[in-house]
Amino acid sequence: MQSRTLPYLLTLPSLFLAAVVIFWPVWDLAQISTHDVNRFGQLRDFSGLANFWALAADPDFMAALWRTGLWTVLVVGGALLLSIPVAMILNTDFYGRGLARVIIMLPWAVSLTMTAVVWRWALNGESGMLNSALMKLGIISQNIQWLASAETAFPMQVLIGILVTVPFTTTIFLGGLSSIPDDLYEAAALEGATLFQQFREITFPLLRPFINIAIVLNTIYVFNSFPIIWVMTQGGPANSTDILVTHLYKLAFRIGKLGEASAVSLVMFAILLVFTMIYVRLAMREQRT
Amino acid sequence: MTSTLMTGKLKRTIIAWLLLAPLIAVTIFPFAVMFLTAVKPRTEVLTPTWWPSEFRWSNFADMWVATGFGQALLNSLYVSALATVGAILISVPAAYAMSRFRFAGYGAFRQFLLISQMISPIVLVLGLFRLMAAWGLVESTTALGFIYMAFNVAFTVWMLQSYFDTIPRDLEEAAWMEGAGRWLTLRKVFLPLCLPAIAVTAIFTFINAWNEFVVALTMLRSQESYTLPIQVFSLVAGRYTIEWHHVMAATLLATLPVAILFTWLQRYLVRGLALGAVK
Repeated sequence: MQSRTLPYLLTLPSLFLAAVVIFWPVWDLAQISTHDVNRFGQLRDFSGLANFWALAADPDFMAALWRTGLWTVLVVGGALLLSIPVAMILNTDFYGRGLARVIIMLPWAVSLTMTAVVWRWALNGESGMLNSALMKLGIISQNIQWLASAETAFPMQVLIGILVTVPFTTTIFLGGLSSIPDDLYEAAALEGATLFQQFREITFPLLRPFINIAIVLNTIYVFNSFPIIWVMTQGGPANSTDILVTHLYKLAFRIGKLGEASAVSLVMFAILLVFTMIYVRLAMREQRT
Repeated sequence: MTSTLMTGKLKRTIIAWLLLAPLIAVTIFPFAVMFLTAVKPRTEVLTPTWWPSEFRWSNFADMWVATGFGQALLNSLYVSALATVGAILISVPAAYAMSRFRFAGYGAFRQFLLISQMISPIVLVLGLFRLMAAWGLVESTTALGFIYMAFNVAFTVWMLQSYFDTIPRDLEEAAWMEGAGRWLTLRKVFLPLCLPAIAVTAIFTFINAWNEFVVALTMLRSQESYTLPIQVFSLVAGRYTIEWHHVMAATLLATLPVAILFTWLQRYLVRGLALGAVK
C-alpha cells in the first residue's frame, strides 16, 4: 500500500510547481487571446479568433514571422555546416587538442545577454573595435555603422547566433563521432577509399541520427532566442530586425496590445509543440534501433 | 616507426590548428574586446585603438561603485541560490521515484518534463507577468527565484534520473537484506553515492538562473531588485552616454567565475544529457 502511493507523493511537488508556472500562464494566455482586452489586462467580451485575424493582417507580425523562419534556418544551418568539420577535427589526435576544445566551447559558457552586450560595443560605428581591426587589416577603408541598418545588423546577429550555437552542436557530434569504431576507417583505407568517400559512406550516415537531433534541438533554442536581437538592436531600426519573440515582447510590454501578444504566444507555443513532437519521435526511433 | 608517427601527429597538429584558426579568432575576439575595454583609461575608450596605454585596474573598483554592482551581485546570488536549492529539493524525490519505481503515469510524466523543458519562458512571459501581478509579486526577487525553480525542475529531474539509473540496485537491496528500511538505505547508501551528480546538476541550475534574461527583464522594474544581466543591460539600453569601460568591466566580472565553472563541468552536462537521451 505504502509503496503504491509513494512514487506519486514523491513526484507531486515537481509536477505541481511546473504545472503552476506552465499551465496557468497557458490557460491565461488562451483566455486573453480569445477576448476583447484593454491595455490593463481586463477581459471584456469574447471575441473568438479576432486577435488571431488581427495578427494575420498585421504586416509587422508577418514580417517578424518570415524573419524568424530566416533567422532559424540560417543559424541552425550555419551552425550545422560549421560544426561537422570542427567536430571531425577535434576528434582527431593532435597537439593542444584540449586547449582548442576549451576555446571553441567558450561561447557556451557565457550568457547570451553578456555576449550580446560585448558585440554591441564591438560593432559600435565610431569607436567599435571590429571597425578598427578591419581598418588596420586593410579590409575596409571607412567605418561601417553595423547596427544602424538591418542590411548589416541582421547578418551580424545571424553570425553571432551561429557562433554561440557551434559549441553545443559540436559537442553532440563529438559524442556521435566517438561511437564510430576506427576499424571502419582502417578497412576503408585498405580498400583504397579516399577521405571524401570515407566521409560520405561512413561518417555521414553514422552521424545522421545525431545531426537530426542537433537540428531539432537547435531549431527549438534558436526559434526562442531573445537576448541577441533584443540587446543589440531591440528589433530596430524601425522593427527591421524583429523576430517573433521580440515582436511579442513589444506588443505585450511596449504597445500594450495584450490580446495580440497572447495570440503570438499561443502561435509560438503551437509551433514549439510540433518541434517537440518531432524530437520525441526521433529520440524514440533512436531507442528502438 | 615512432618517428613517422611523430611527424604524422605534428603534421596533423599544424593542419588542425590552421583549419580551426578562423573560428578560434572569431571566438576569442569578443573576449579580447571585453578585457581590453575594461582596463582602458576612460579617455581612451572612445578612440579606436586596440591596446591601452596602461592597464587601469582601478576601473573595476570605480565600476563597482558607479554601477551598483554589489547590489545586483547579491540579487543574482540570492535568486540563483533559491532556485537551485528549491529545484534540487523537489527533484531528488521525483528522480528517485522515476528511477526506482514503476508506476502508472510514468511515461506521461516523462513526456510532460520533456515538453516543459522545450518551452522557453519567453513564450509564457506575458502570462507569468499577469500571474505575478495578480499576486502582487512583481519586483519580488523571491518570486523570480520560484519561477526559475519551476523552469529548471524538468532539467534537474531529467539529469538526476539519468544518473540515478546508473547506480546498481544491488547496493540498496543488500542494505534491505541487512534489515535497513527504505529511508535509512536512502540516506546511508543511495544519496551519498549520488552526491557528485546532485552537485553537478545543482551547479548547472545555478548557472541557468544566473544567466536568465527575459523573465528578470519583465519582472524586475527598479534598480534595487535588478539581477546582474538586467543591471548590465540597463547600463547600455536607452542611454546617450554609455560608460563602456564600466560596462565591459561589469560584464567581465559577472561572466568570468561562471564561465570557468561551466568550462570545467561541461563534460558532465553532456554525459548526463546523453544518458538521459539513451534511456
